[in-house]
Amino acid sequence: MLKNMVSRWFEERFDVQAVKEPLEYQLRKPLPRNIGWFHTFGSMSLFLFVSQVLTGILLLIYYRPTEGEAFESVKFIMTQPYAGWLFRQVHAWGANLMILMVTIHMMRTYVTGSYKKPRELTWLIGVGLFMMTLVFGFTGYLLPWNQLAYWATTVGTEIAGAVPGIGEFAKTLMRGGVNVGGETLSRFFVLHVIVLPWALFFLIGFHIFLVRFQEMSTLDAVGEEKKTKPEDGIPFFPDHLLKEGVVFFVLMGVLITLSILAPFELGEKANPLSTPVGIKPEWYFMPMYHALKYFPKVFGVLLLGMAPLFLFIWPFVDRGRNRHPLKRPVSMTLGIITFVVVIFLGTLGCLSESKQNFFGKVYEFDIYGVPHQVTEQKL
Amino acid sequence: MRKYFLTFVFLFLACHVSGADVPPDNSCLTCHSDMWDDMKTSVHSQHAIYCNQCHGGDPSQKDKDLAKTPATGYVGVPDKKQIAQICGGCHADVEKMNFYGIPTDQLQRYKTSRHGKELFNAGNNKVAVCNDCHTEHDVVPIADPNSPVYPSNVPKTCNRCHGNEKIMTPFGIPTDIFNKYKGSVHGKALFEKHDTGVATCISCHGSHGAVPPGVKEVAAACGKCHINEKKNFLESPHAKIEDAAKFNQCISCHSNHDIQPPGLDMYVQACGRCHAPQTPEFLEGRKIWQVIKDAQDDLKATQGIVKQAGIEGIFVEEDTLVLEEIKTKVFEMGPTQHTLSFAKVNDLYAQAEGKFKQVRKNIETKRDNLKQRKLFLLPMWLFIFVMAVALIKKHKQLDALREEGKKKE
Repeated sequence: MLKNMVSRWFEERFDVQAVKEPLEYQLRKPLPRNIGWFHTFGSMSLFLFVSQVLTGILLLIYYRPTEGEAFESVKFIMTQPYAGWLFRQVHAWGANLMILMVTIHMMRTYVTGSYKKPRELTWLIGVGLFMMTLVFGFTGYLLPWNQLAYWATTVGTEIAGAVPGIGEFAKTLMRGGVNVGGETLSRFFVLHVIVLPWALFFLIGFHIFLVRFQEMSTLDAVGEEKKTKPEDGIPFFPDHLLKEGVVFFVLMGVLITLSILAPFELGEKANPLSTPVGIKPEWYFMPMYHALKYFPKVFGVLLLGMAPLFLFIWPFVDRGRNRHPLKRPVSMTLGIITFVVVIFLGTLGCLSESKQNFFGKVYEFDIYGVPHQVTEQKL
Repeated sequence: MRKYFLTFVFLFLACHVSGADVPPDNSCLTCHSDMWDDMKTSVHSQHAIYCNQCHGGDPSQKDKDLAKTPATGYVGVPDKKQIAQICGGCHADVEKMNFYGIPTDQLQRYKTSRHGKELFNAGNNKVAVCNDCHTEHDVVPIADPNSPVYPSNVPKTCNRCHGNEKIMTPFGIPTDIFNKYKGSVHGKALFEKHDTGVATCISCHGSHGAVPPGVKEVAAACGKCHINEKKNFLESPHAKIEDAAKFNQCISCHSNHDIQPPGLDMYVQACGRCHAPQTPEFLEGRKIWQVIKDAQDDLKATQGIVKQAGIEGIFVEEDTLVLEEIKTKVFEMGPTQHTLSFAKVNDLYAQAEGKFKQVRKNIETKRDNLKQRKLFLLPMWLFIFVMAVALIKKHKQLDALREEGKKKE
């Protein structure tokens, strides 16, 4: 009764049918048969983005982006407001999981060859979204203004400063001065809560539009893809959405469980006069950070700066028609090698400059991640 | 004290590190050049105060005899009395000392000291005079760590005479004072922790006016640093006892030169020296002892609880602040116990006890919250499992329906 009244109210004023039909078409539009669990990572990234926005808004109620108050305000959030600790932990873990989800989503796209014609633009936007998610992580990491954040940002901006020509300008622009300080915090804050969320919002919108408009990719070769007929495909709603629902619940559970069982410590307030030992970036920058150790600064920065460029131009380099991974041995071998190297460098980065115990023997990993067995000094 | 310190720092900085220039036309140095080696870095030579200012004579004369004629006021090696008078000639002169901001009452004070009285009244030459502490030719400001009267050197300087049995026996003064002091709480702070603010010989006995404090002055001497202890002690029944043989203020419980860090054991040892067990006074002491012990035990236990909570990742900043307040109360019990009033000490414990409970309750609540968070995971995962199963079942149902529809077609 009420529903009818509302419908009539709108129909009398707007051409509801003109909006309703394309919306219903999108909802019922059949997805290809090969769409399964691995295709839910994109939606999960979106879910995490929404979660970050919501928890971010809640954190903004109490957060103060100044050198003198940032640390104290985060401490306040974690101790005083009702469930403040949960929002901060979900936000911190959400950031990490979002980067993980976007990475897995990209890897899936690479394996299924979905970046190929006609979806090169979707891939390009996807790479842009991935980069922006990393910048999101980098800028957000500084905001609690603790020792780790301060020094990781110092190291991070220092790396940017090594780019020939514009490096010094970029470093000063990011820091807002010679050193990381209150100005840096303000800049990172504005980027993190205003610029990046809106940029990401519009890019995600465009990305999703392209995905829906060009339809989901199948494993058919380029030029041989057929339009999915309703009787052959799986309806997006409710069938595929049910799968998304399952993954959504599990992801939400994982997010809350991690927030409770492995909370992020706030640590000590940033102290520009005391450099802690063994400063390392977050895990998602670790492979790059570790790789830089093997090259002269400028050369390393230039070489690693090629990685995003390589991702951007990949759809135009790999112009083969096949999408099936088994029919693309060169791309797949290259992909697997890159994956192994990234994991290897990341692991070495984590182990470097630390002491570890393996099978009862103590090893000291030097700056390059090379283990040296520690022998006990006997008097 | 601060004024003197700053004055000496100023004088010290004003000095050339390399030493003063050789005085022109100073014929004394023709024979006594070795003395100049000692004197050139002294505070006096830095200010053009040379040999004849203390020893008399005319240094402008090249001839030795002419330089030492009686008309030149030649003194030669002054005796102890002369030393005091010669030093006082300048140091008791307000006009001369005004520029340096140095006090001018040293000679007057010296005359009131045991040293001065023996020298001037009894004519005893075997007492310390200015140069015995400050040296003669190489006098440096007291702020200079090389000065024999720099705080960390004072006990050793006094001990040069007071540790000498031959000098002290005629005065009937014991010679083990330095060793006792070295093992005392003050001595350890001075020699081991290098705390130059701690009490040395002159803090209690005075320097230029050094005298042994009498029974009425003991609390005043200790009270120069231990202000609250003194204030509270003066409220106690002990403060009214004037007979030193019965009770000698602070010394009776703490001793003098070999003062050890005060502990609760003192209630057993010190009180028992005068008060028989089970007397009301002795029992009152036991009550104070008990309440202080309880407070200290509670403080230690609560500190442990807060520390453990911090290790577990609980935010304890606020509780640490409350703990600091408690610590202040417990520390306040130390000086307050000198009133010997159980009510006053107990009042402090009551204040601390309320905060002890508050901290423990806070930590317990926080720990419970953490436990509850973990317990919350159980129903949450149960809910997720139910939802996931329901969604998968529905998906399968839809799949089956679609397949059935296809078959029918």
